[in-house]
Amino acid sequence: MKILACVKQVLDSESVFRIRDDSDWIETEGDPRYGMNHPDEFVVEEAVALKEAHREVTVDVLTVGPHSASQVLERAVGMGADRAYHILTREEGYLAPFTVSSWIAGFAETRNYDLILCGIMAEDDMQGQVGPMLAEHLGYPCATSVVRETCRPETETIRVEREIEGGRRELLEIALPAVLTLQTGINRPRYPSLSNLLRAKKEKPELLDPARFPMPEDREQFLRAALPPAVRRGVVLEGDTEQKARELHGILKEMAFL
Amino acid sequence: MKKTRDAVVIIAEAQGDETAPITLELLALAREIQLAQPCKIRFLMVGHGTEATARDLARRTGREVVAVEAETLRDYNTETCLEILQEHLPGLSPRFVLMGQTPRGMDLAPRLAVRLGAGCITGVDALCVEEGELRFSRTAFGGKISLQMAPARSITVVTATPGAFTAPQESVSSQGSVRLVSSARRSARSRTLGIIEAPRQERGLSEADVIVAAGRGIGTRENLALIERLASVFPRSAVAASRPLCDQGWMDYPRQVGLTGATVSPKLYFACGISGAVQHTVGMQGSGFIVAVSRDPHAAIFRIADVCVVDDLEAFIPAFLALCREE
Ligand SMILES: Cc1cc2nc3c(=O)[nH]c(=O)nc-3n(C[C@H](O)[C@H](O)[C@H](O)COP(=O)(O)OP(=O)(O)OC[C@H]3O[C@@H](n4cnc5c(N)ncnc54)[C@H](O)[C@@H]3O)c2cc1C
Repeated sequence: MKILACVKQVLDSESVFRIRDDSDWIETEGDPRYGMNHPDEFVVEEAVALKEAHREVTVDVLTVGPHSASQVLERAVGMGADRAYHILTREEGYLAPFTVSSWIAGFAETRNYDLILCGIMAEDDMQGQVGPMLAEHLGYPCATSVVRETCRPETETIRVEREIEGGRRELLEIALPAVLTLQTGINRPRYPSLSNLLRAKKEKPELLDPARFPMPEDREQFLRAALPPAVRRGVVLEGDTEQKARELHGILKEMAFL
Repeated sequence: MKKTRDAVVIIAEAQGDETAPITLELLALAREIQLAQPCKIRFLMVGHGTEATARDLARRTGREVVAVEAETLRDYNTETCLEILQEHLPGLSPRFVLMGQTPRGMDLAPRLAVRLGAGCITGVDALCVEEGELRFSRTAFGGKISLQMAPARSITVVTATPGAFTAPQESVSSQGSVRLVSSARRSARSRTLGIIEAPRQERGLSEADVIVAAGRGIGTRENLALIERLASVFPRSAVAASRPLCDQGWMDYPRQVGLTGATVSPKLYFACGISGAVQHTVGMQGSGFIVAVSRDPHAAIFRIADVCVVDDLEAFIPAFLALCREE
């Protein structure tokens, strides 16, 4: 069985950034930190766990991103993925999910994966579109928001539980090949192992130029990034910790919460 | 029916026999679109036993509802639903297809867009009009910025964040209409085996006056004790969490607040180390008073908080507790 795990590099949520003067994207300030999109850690874990549970499973890991994104491939190989592929894009900026999913489909098309795993959503642009679009490009069935799976390679099916409204779960049996997007919490992602990390350092990811895939026309237009409006005009407490604690204590007492 | 794409089609969702709240919120968005660019508003409902809900919807909104009744959807199935939508949507001449950014909408929208050759804009929370052109806003980076998007195709599939638009309180003059169609399509690629019911709701959360909620910012499991101590100083209080803490097993899922957890509206919501991603805030934005503690001054939670405490919670909470003890 061949598995493809799709992962993305994102800016750490506490990094300081501002909107660029041309409003075209953000720019970071100070010392930005990047890492693997949190939901994608579950993707790599699930793929590697499948490899351990079944015989003859290979796990390829793929990212679409700038040079620095090789960092997340290294982590994925560190966690136990076999081979890494990197569709190398220009530096920072907006990329439409339709474009990204088309490229991944172009990559996956000829490689006959039985199972393609994606995270439920990227923490940066929060669109949640790449996985399900990828399934359409390839003509595969798809389940999103998966919180449990049981793969049955012998019958070429996979059973999944997906999270639906009101905390309920839908139980499905899907024919392979298929695309799943995994919800966080489906497993407990492991830490990379030292031996795998050493291997990741030695075996560099295979770089792919996006120019080898068709560049689709935009299906919706990204205009600009902006600051969202404040919903409530809250007070920001000033002073040192002690003073802030006193002020909050006063406010909550006055409102009779304490 | 005219073949110009002149309609906003809302994919309706049911909750039991009634219209789901999100469907009426989508009507608010559809009307905003209609104000800027005159068009028809139609509902499309796909499922099994749709008639009662379709009538409820037509009566409440006075609009045209097309209900595709599918025996094959006795158990909901995405693949089958997609095939039915793909078959019936073009006849309704949609310029926009609206769904909720709900588990179902998130599952369908991107795939439907590809099938229709349409654009796709997910997680929309506001619409504005610039020189007659529609601009959809959606949040990104955990709510710290918003991305403005414009349609570029003759059809655009849009999903709206639950709670972002307010269901219109309109007096309805027309009876509306219901058109029932049936379909026998069934996807061969996926089979629904059943539904697993939700674990029992945490009653403590709905009954509490004060909810103290912990997020990933608490850092260590040991700090949960700090959160519990903080909750204990408020009468009628309960402890809750953001999703990552439940994912890690630090708290049980019934205590999770947000899109895929509980929706709460206590008198006081005290958020500790929560960044304020929209999937969390949809579950607590109806709270009476919101206090937020985060060390990130740009955290999105501060946009909806009444009192913003920019500090390290490991220092702030003990300082606050010390004052409570002094009393
Ligand atoms: C389909 C879907 C459904 C989802 N459903 C839900 C849901 O129901 N509920 C939910 O909560 N999430 C849900 N999520 C996840 C959601 O998108 C966010 O990832 C999540 O809410 C983030 O949790 P957090 O705020 O605790 O963590 P983070 O976003 O990591 O925020 C941590 C915060 O703590 C601050 N912090 C860190 N250390 C300290 C310190 N020492 N002192 C003070 N502050 C500190 C940080 O600056 C940051 O502001 C869902 C996601 C998807 C895609």
